[in-house]
Amino acid sequence: MTEPGGELGARLSATSTAEAAYGQVTYDVAPADWVATLTRARDDLGFTFFDWLTAVDHEADGMDVVVHLWCLDRREHLLLRTRLPTAGLSLATATGVFAGASWHERETFEMFGIDFTGHPHLVPLLLPDGFEGHPLRKDFVLAARVAKAWPGAKEPGESDAGHTAPARRASRPPGVPDPAVWGPHPPATGAEPAPAPEPDGRPEVEP
Amino acid sequence: MVTERIVGMGAGADLVDDGGRIATQDMVLNIGPQHPSTHGVLRLRITLDGERIVDAEPIVGYMHRGAEKLFEVRDYRQIIVLANRHDWLSAFANELGVVLAAERMLGMDVPVRAVWARTLLAELNRVLNHLMFLGSYPIELGAITPIFYAFRERETLQAVMEEISGGRMHYMFNRVGGLKEDLPAGWLGRARRAVTDVRSRLPDLDRLVMGNEIFLARTKGVGIISPEMVAAYGVSGPIARASGVDFDLRRDEPYLAYGELPVTVVTRTDGDCLSRFQCLFEQLQVSLDLADACLDRLGSLPPGPINTRLPKVLKVPEGATYAWTENPLGINGYYLVSKGDKTPWRLKLRSASFNNIQVLGELLPGALIADMVAILGSMFFVVGDIDK
Repeated sequence: MTEPGGELGARLSATSTAEAAYGQVTYDVAPADWVATLTRARDDLGFTFFDWLTAVDHEADGMDVVVHLWCLDRREHLLLRTRLPTAGLSLATATGVFAGASWHERETFEMFGIDFTGHPHLVPLLLPDGFEGHPLRKDFVLAARVAKAWPGAKEPGESDAGHTAPARRASRPPGVPDPAVWGPHPPATGAEPAPAPEPDGRPEVEP
Repeated sequence: MVTERIVGMGAGADLVDDGGRIATQDMVLNIGPQHPSTHGVLRLRITLDGERIVDAEPIVGYMHRGAEKLFEVRDYRQIIVLANRHDWLSAFANELGVVLAAERMLGMDVPVRAVWARTLLAELNRVLNHLMFLGSYPIELGAITPIFYAFRERETLQAVMEEISGGRMHYMFNRVGGLKEDLPAGWLGRARRAVTDVRSRLPDLDRLVMGNEIFLARTKGVGIISPEMVAAYGVSGPIARASGVDFDLRRDEPYLAYGELPVTVVTRTDGDCLSRFQCLFEQLQVSLDLADACLDRLGSLPPGPINTRLPKVLKVPEGATYAWTENPLGINGYYLVSKGDKTPWRLKLRSASFNNIQVLGELLPGALIADMVAILGSMFFVVGDIDK
């Protein structure tokens, strides 16, 4: 679905590509062009209204930083995206272009661990002092979902089946990796168990 | 670095600088997280020079509960109940964005009766939300009576909302593909009576507040937000429109049935506390009119379904979309990234108050400490909507 960015894309950045889905177009630019593209979008193309900035974790493929701008006069969207490699989670700050990017970048910094270089005050925003980890990364597992079982039936019919019913494959809560590859193991077992492939084809999450 | 300082009449008068003037020292004052003039647990760290604010930093996150992470481990039915909570005064409107995003990616057509009923409930929710702020803002400026008037109207509308959904705050009435269940028999008539009653009693509230000299003196020309600040910070809703930014998604990018309704966008140009309050008040009347128009249409629609039968496991196809709605307090949006699973890969929540409150850091410096209360109240926010 990715194709050259068309007229608007060309005016945003010479190297941009566009992806259309569900009636919306997302423009991809290189991380090096990020601030220049945002400046051009604001000054030359009229996308003056800053809506939000966030990131999406694609695990081994890196992370996307996405921004949404709006043109108040033409009533047009601009979804702009850039892909950061896992090895270099760092991007120039957009606070010089949109003052409102400040909190959004602080939130993205604490939630994903992306460093926004040049940000005047890059400290955690929402998380408590001393919080460790980046909660919105995919390798951050919600341990409470495993530690405390859901009080009740998870599947229809489970509660009236009683104890005599044949045991189903234990259904894990969504987002919790296979216990074979994640979580504590009894020390007696010695070697690490071999990572089993996920039944639903989702990529595995490293411990 | 903490230094104890004596504050009060004559304090520091013994410190005289070379020019013979009284030397001043900036004082750092924490407003909140527990303070009578804050809403919930918003904390402001304010640096004062005398009574004038020289620097203000909103410190947020006391109510953060990781909504976006929780979305990733819930299916689309379960997400609705989580997503209606961050702004607890706009529960119905919060639910809408989630179902609109999922329906768009599923390519699902929503029954026409559900579309009109959703529009109606969204407007009633807006009225409930605005009434809360129309009542609570005068309290902060020393007028206690208006909230009793506002709550009388709120109760009238709560009754019809409660009858339809069973909830008073978290309606949980939206479903992917429509609404939970059909409207009760005779409900349209009761809803219309409630709307008419509220409209007929609004002049009471209007006369009580709008003509009050003290109220006007505390709000006129105070806390001015420029249109440039609105755009740079992504401020939206009645606050943006009070600064002359003519932007309302109900008209500019119509969703639900708004394309068929005459949506009047209320704007002011001054951008001060008074304009924000006036916008809120006038929007209330517009919403009541829209609710009446929806009731008319709902009454004339032929009988038909109000929801869509869903598969047991609801999987949204791969891709990404952004659905935003004009919530009572401003833009509320969801950026949904799906990898074809029954849970979203990522569901970013763009909440109105998050952007609206960030502007305080630029708005408060230069204002007097007494005006801080007036400005804070006029930003019409819900702390859960900031902290997510």
